[in-house]
Amino acid sequence: MARNGRNIFAGSRRDFLKAAAIGAVGSAFGPVAGRGQAKTIGFMHPSSFIKAYDEFFQRKLAPAYENATGVRVNYELTSVGGLQTRVATVAETGNGPDITCNAFSWPFLYGEKYLDVGDIAEDAGRENGGWYDSAKEAVIVGGVWKAVPFANIGQLMCWRQDWFKEAGYDTFPDTWDELLQAGIKLKKNGHPMGFELGHGFGDNHGWLYPLLWSYGGKEMEPDGKRIAIDSDGTAHAVDYCRRLFKETMTDEVLGWTDTNNNEAWFSEQISCTNNAASILYVGKRDFPDIAKVTQHALNPRGPTGARFHMLNPWSHSIFSHSKEPEAARAFLRWLMQPEQVSAWYAAGDSYYAPYLHAYDNAPMWSTDPRWVPYRDSIATSHLPGWPAPISRASSESVAKLVVVDMFAKACAGTSTKDVIAQAATQLKQIYRVT
Amino acid sequence: MPSQAATLAVPSITVRRRRRGFRHWTEREPVFAWLMIIPPLLFLIALVGYPFVYGILLSLEDRPVAHAGTFIGLKNFVTNFHDPVFWQVARNTFLYTFCATLLKAVGGLGMALVMNQVFPAKNVIRAVMLLPFIVPTVLSTVAWMWILDPSFSVVNWVMFQFGLPRPGPAWLGNPSLAMFSLIMINTWRGLPFYGITLLAGLQTIPPDLHEAAVIDGAGTWARFRYITLPLLMPVIFIVTLFSVIFTFSDFQLVYVLTRGGPANATHLFATYAFDIAMGAGQFGLGASVALAMLPALAVVIAGLAFYMRRR
Repeated sequence: MARNGRNIFAGSRRDFLKAAAIGAVGSAFGPVAGRGQAKTIGFMHPSSFIKAYDEFFQRKLAPAYENATGVRVNYELTSVGGLQTRVATVAETGNGPDITCNAFSWPFLYGEKYLDVGDIAEDAGRENGGWYDSAKEAVIVGGVWKAVPFANIGQLMCWRQDWFKEAGYDTFPDTWDELLQAGIKLKKNGHPMGFELGHGFGDNHGWLYPLLWSYGGKEMEPDGKRIAIDSDGTAHAVDYCRRLFKETMTDEVLGWTDTNNNEAWFSEQISCTNNAASILYVGKRDFPDIAKVTQHALNPRGPTGARFHMLNPWSHSIFSHSKEPEAARAFLRWLMQPEQVSAWYAAGDSYYAPYLHAYDNAPMWSTDPRWVPYRDSIATSHLPGWPAPISRASSESVAKLVVVDMFAKACAGTSTKDVIAQAATQLKQIYRVT
Repeated sequence: MPSQAATLAVPSITVRRRRRGFRHWTEREPVFAWLMIIPPLLFLIALVGYPFVYGILLSLEDRPVAHAGTFIGLKNFVTNFHDPVFWQVARNTFLYTFCATLLKAVGGLGMALVMNQVFPAKNVIRAVMLLPFIVPTVLSTVAWMWILDPSFSVVNWVMFQFGLPRPGPAWLGNPSLAMFSLIMINTWRGLPFYGITLLAGLQTIPPDLHEAAVIDGAGTWARFRYITLPLLMPVIFIVTLFSVIFTFSDFQLVYVLTRGGPANATHLFATYAFDIAMGAGQFGLGASVALAMLPALAVVIAGLAFYMRRR
């Protein structure tokens, strides 16, 4: 097989077809290719806001696979916000596409309707330099790989270089306390910071869980059976958050959903926020002047000395209702081979940070040094609920925004003791601790 | 030949009789009534009855998504009873429904009274007044998102012009203001429904009554109080009934604007139930939250039905 690390899609069409055909016939799914004539498999994906990424699949990967094996892959795009409802419906009814993309901890919610893909995941890891440990956190349910990890859409600090410089900072503050001091100066200069404290999907969890963890706080003990939220670490994190809100932000952040901080960023209302790399992408495309002064940084360290990030994983699972499970497996195996997966990662620029160590120094990371923190954050990223095992209960805590609202209520004026007690009551009910 | 004709004629007569018999049967009132009722009844059973019964069954189960359910009786309701957020959601829903319905009733009545006057371009203005009701909720709500965005808010801009300090109020960031804003938007959207329906009611009031009252020396207020309002009451009650049901189970407005934030200050039964059922994948618990709407709505509906019957 053409596994020389070269991007085969960069060569001529003929080269590529040859490589794909050799790969297809000579590899593990050879027998499937023989039987696979005129088969169709459905592959459900959230539509990417990077157009080239979806187009690469539709125009290159799917036709290449069909040419090599005769199996047609239907790339079914769903809106990002609507994907979970769609996955739940497909899992419940046993009707629909064969493969789906997962976000967050979905393999833990729908895992009973997913096939074990351990062999594919382990081979992909072997062929691509090994998996990051945090990738496994999102897909191994009860010891079984229920999904093949794909990439991380990191949530990091996004800061205005010019305004920070004006306030006396050449680099991004290393600790939360330093960030508070910087924020006070920035707000005085008319550039408040803006971190989402409302009921969005990701930009709220994205910084509040890491804040909690870096202060030594956690929702549950690692055994997942004892409530751990009522601790000094949590109390200090809550107190810190209240100060950060009052002294560096404006009240509106309490009502923000995920779009608001992006709008505030591009209307030059805020000097710092926590977001995925979409801000820099959109900036480069539509607001070049703002993009020039947009910087990314890892989350600050807490008093424990550690820094954390929220894991925001994409992974791929095969539904157990699939009528073509072998074809679906063969396709997923092919997709994760270095030739294909490296090209797909490259098509997404560096928005989708690979969970595979072989791409730690891939060319996409050298296009702009500002993306690099997205790679570096993976090793310290965890799913909400960590360090307890990820479970249905941890998903329920996220859906009920227990941690986010604990911080938000404190910012709105409730005492630290009360917000922690309320969170503990909710967690007791969610984790069914008697 | 005649005999042949007679034998030929017999079957055709029988057919005609049978046909007439069937038509006669369908034209009997009880039969015809059922024939008319059955299609909508089947429709309701399939699209309302079945999901409703299924919802009740779900609420009695521990039923995570993609996993078989186990019957747990009323445990989900007990869980809700001990969930502080559930009670906050209940308070929010009642406050939201009460305030928005009251504002819509008073405003709608005012709107109808004004629209009932004679003035130029009356029909055009009547049609324009319906706009908030016609525009898809999600679209108009996105417009409201911009209207209330502190950075771009036209409301805050007007306030600056009158000398209020920047930054103006965080309409969706302050818990009380967020609820206030949602009530206002719901009122804005629901007002035309009230206005147009009450206007239709107003136009059925015979002008003779007003003329007689004027001759008897009744002023404008007295005519409104003793003629218009009593005759409009049945319409007001029906519109209120509909409005309470729609407002109580509102979802889109909250989901687009705040998703229940800040800190659950605007979560309603419908949005909370959706988050639990879809976000957390707990269908049973989600169904039990959604069903918590039922008793309150049942009381309203029963009360109104009782009132209507008494009249």
